[in-house]
Amino acid sequence: MGATLGTAGVWLGLFGAVVGVATLALGLRRRDPRLLEAGRKYTWVILGGAVLAVVAMETALLSHDFSLKYVAENGSRQTPLLFTITGMWSALEGSILLWAIILAGYLAVMVHHFRKRATDPLVGWATLTVFVVAGFFFALMAGPANPFRVIHGTVPTNGPGPNPLLQNHPLVAFHPPMLYLGFVGFTIPFAFAVAALVTGRLGEGWLVETRRWTLFAWGFLTIGIILGAWWSYEVLGWGGYWAWDPVENASFIPWLTATAYLHSVMVQERRGMLRIWNLSLLLATFSLTILGTFLTRSGVLESVHSFTESPIGPWILTFFGLVVFTAVALIGWRGDRLRSPGSIDSPVSREGAFLANNLLFAAFCFVVLLGTVFPLLAEAINGDQLSVGGPYFDRMTTPIVIALLFLMAVAPVLPWRKASEEVLRKRLFWPAATATLVVVLCVATGLRGLAPLAAFWLGTFAAGSAVRQLALSARRQGWRGLVGRANGGMIVHIGVVLIAVAFAASHAYGHQREFRLSPGQSAHLSGHTVTYLGTSTVKASNKTSLRAQVRVDGGKIYAPAVQQFPFATQAIGSPSVKSGLANDVYLTLAAPPDHPGGSAVIGVIVQPLIVWLWIGGAVIAIGTALAAWPGRRRRPTAPVSAPIEVETTGAAGTQPPEPVVVPGA
Amino acid sequence: MKSRWAWLAMAAVLVVALVIGAQGRSGPMTQAERVKHIASEIRCPTCRNQSAAESDAAAAKAVRDEIQRRVQSGQSDGEIVAFMVSRYGDDILLKPQGSGVASLVWVLPVVAVVVALAGLGIAFRRWRARPGVKVSEEDRALVERELEREGV
Amino acid sequence: MSNVSDVDVAVGRSKRHTARWAAISLGVVLLLFVAVLATRKSAADKQAESPLLGKQAPTLSGTSLDGSQVSLASMHGKWVVVNFMASWCVPCRDEHPELIKFTQRHQAAGDAAVLGVIFDDTAPNVRHFFSELGGSWPVVDDPNGQTALDFGVRGPPESFLVDPNGFVIWKGIGQVNADGLDKLVAQGKARGA
Repeated sequence: MGATLGTAGVWLGLFGAVVGVATLALGLRRRDPRLLEAGRKYTWVILGGAVLAVVAMETALLSHDFSLKYVAENGSRQTPLLFTITGMWSALEGSILLWAIILAGYLAVMVHHFRKRATDPLVGWATLTVFVVAGFFFALMAGPANPFRVIHGTVPTNGPGPNPLLQNHPLVAFHPPMLYLGFVGFTIPFAFAVAALVTGRLGEGWLVETRRWTLFAWGFLTIGIILGAWWSYEVLGWGGYWAWDPVENASFIPWLTATAYLHSVMVQERRGMLRIWNLSLLLATFSLTILGTFLTRSGVLESVHSFTESPIGPWILTFFGLVVFTAVALIGWRGDRLRSPGSIDSPVSREGAFLANNLLFAAFCFVVLLGTVFPLLAEAINGDQLSVGGPYFDRMTTPIVIALLFLMAVAPVLPWRKASEEVLRKRLFWPAATATLVVVLCVATGLRGLAPLAAFWLGTFAAGSAVRQLALSARRQGWRGLVGRANGGMIVHIGVVLIAVAFAASHAYGHQREFRLSPGQSAHLSGHTVTYLGTSTVKASNKTSLRAQVRVDGGKIYAPAVQQFPFATQAIGSPSVKSGLANDVYLTLAAPPDHPGGSAVIGVIVQPLIVWLWIGGAVIAIGTALAAWPGRRRRPTAPVSAPIEVETTGAAGTQPPEPVVVPGA
Repeated sequence: MKSRWAWLAMAAVLVVALVIGAQGRSGPMTQAERVKHIASEIRCPTCRNQSAAESDAAAAKAVRDEIQRRVQSGQSDGEIVAFMVSRYGDDILLKPQGSGVASLVWVLPVVAVVVALAGLGIAFRRWRARPGVKVSEEDRALVERELEREGV
Repeated sequence: MSNVSDVDVAVGRSKRHTARWAAISLGVVLLLFVAVLATRKSAADKQAESPLLGKQAPTLSGTSLDGSQVSLASMHGKWVVVNFMASWCVPCRDEHPELIKFTQRHQAAGDAAVLGVIFDDTAPNVRHFFSELGGSWPVVDDPNGQTALDFGVRGPPESFLVDPNGFVIWKGIGQVNADGLDKLVAQGKARGA
């Protein structure tokens, strides 16, 4: 029953997408507004199909319908309720289903939002593009990644449940959905970019309409990535949170181009420049999400995250090729129409800073992408097998991050068009002075190490500049001074600084050791005391845990454990963390006692400021929400630039310079 | 008015603090630190993407023990790394060694940035040389008409 | 939408067609990139490359499951399949009957044998494994992982074929089968070892 309903849902969605594409295509070709109106209604068919499929899958999981292959492989009667629900996205086919429902949701919101302009060809082309993407994902589910395959023969009475690592922590309920809300969200701006190029309507209207979409998608992606890091930290047992793992990189690369876009679009709004570049960034961001999906699911790269291999790889790669070809062709066809007459007067200006920002983010994106796919490229060129791991990325990205921190401090105080040294010196003095004071205090309290101290200086400098902007803005406008794009952006910068500083501190000042302790024995590390008390075995419905009781700093007892799941081949370690504002004490049960009452090996990792990574993430989320707050609305056609003096060259200076009004729509 | 002197004084204080701060990691590394340093460049053989220094896996422990034995017997970092490569192959290293195709991964980003900077430099020069936009009467009238139509 | 957008766009049409050239060159690069990605085998399938191929096998000796001392050197003169395994490893379970088949086929001639090495597991577990699934070849314990390191083993199951003179001539990642092993031995003999 579940399988039939689910398959029906998938095919319904596919049908809706295909017919929708056909209707809209016809409507656009014939310029028939009725067909355009009709075509967009297929959104609801697609949404209905997706909802039906999701309901069918969750019902099957919750009712332990093991006649479905997906449930037989990923469900279990012993798995707790939460992890049964999240089991929907614990394996490949289900993750495609999650992508499809989120895409259908976004599509419905988009179509509803633009319902009054449904007959506008721009909206028509955008809707058509999203229909095509949705069609692809439904086709995947109808074909190679079918979540509703049925078991032939005897139906098992129980299953192994999701991968043990996915049953360990509640964050599994948040990280994938947030990540997908981000990835999938970029489809909409991509669709509008395609529509703008196809229709030739390359002015700013479409950009302003989709600005908030891009911001939300970016916000969700940022939160999704940070939740992923947090989950890694709490579950994987090595005390780290970012390993430059190919799948982590795959989610990070589109984030980099999206961040670049959010900044350079301001240059387009103000000066009408960088249009081709911005369109390219949007096209690239979406393409990179598809590339990321391919790298994650095709099995070409080894990773902690690798889904089991499936024949889905070639399909996704083909789609990626199609997307990229379309994007490149569109830019090649229409791109030269976009040339704006504007120019950037001086590199030391807000525009110049945004240009530098984009250069750095582009370099960052290139480094991470190159490093991630380089093993594949090297093997293709001459058969060399090599790895590119953490040390490469750390070395190559550190200078970029340093430059970005510096830019974060300086750019908000730069005026548009041209800055004078005096203005800079005056505005940046107090942020720089505060930063210097902070470094002096750190050195005075005994902290050493050039890299972390430099990070602290740059971070405080950038935060100081952002706080200064916020203070000025709040003084001028009261609470309204904290909302709107610029102010929300400053709060986001503060969040980024918190993360950068926490990153530097935890890497530079972390200490790690293993201790063999008998019951009652204590060990000391970095000013913390851990006392091993003994072990106990706890049986839960889905696992058996061998827990070590460890008292930390004479207070609460923490329980790092080794957990055995019934169908997993190896036991997995489950760390226990005492988090504090100053530092985290991370405990693992490295080796359980050989005999009851024997000694155990307890791993202890003490790292400072880890909590500030997650706090920084929350600050970014708040800042994004504030940035999306509607400011005093500016109509797309209102002039942005004030009259400026333009000198005419050539003539011997007889004509007075004419004031020119440059419409900034 | 924050004069140059205030900035210079601040810069001086900062430089002193950083110089003091950069000390403290005194002398050559201890044996334990050397082992950790070498292990952090070797991939944990059984893990997906961790270094031998970070991982708890049995194979990683074996690698660390072997590195320790060799450090104690006086081998250099290069010799120890070469030994690991002679057993596991080139892809046991987390950083590609800089020769041949592998060096591309280090060189290409630098080349890309240089090219991009050059491109920007050319663009800036072209922008400077531009005489500025002259607006014809006809264009100006068109704009006025449109703005009126929009009700601005 | 007003016509303002089309007007100000028309002003800027470029004669240099920079966008077109950039798009074409980027298109070519991306085409090559997609071609590379399309022709990659999955990570798990990659040919087992080993720096040990063609070299003398590392020393392998230790205590076997029944307490006696065993070494690879003592098996000189035979084709030896050095098989790294663990009781918790599912493909090891799958390949075990194949290894039994292989040993039975070569029992009479005595020209080939299997030498097992425990990878990250305990002797009692492996003893239980063998009593459950059968097989009676010597299995060496490797409690410190030293042998695994010497052979560059990433994870079980991995097998090495060592010729009668002690040279490593083949490495396999993942489970093996009797026919494949037979073929390798036959090829090795034909090459004249």
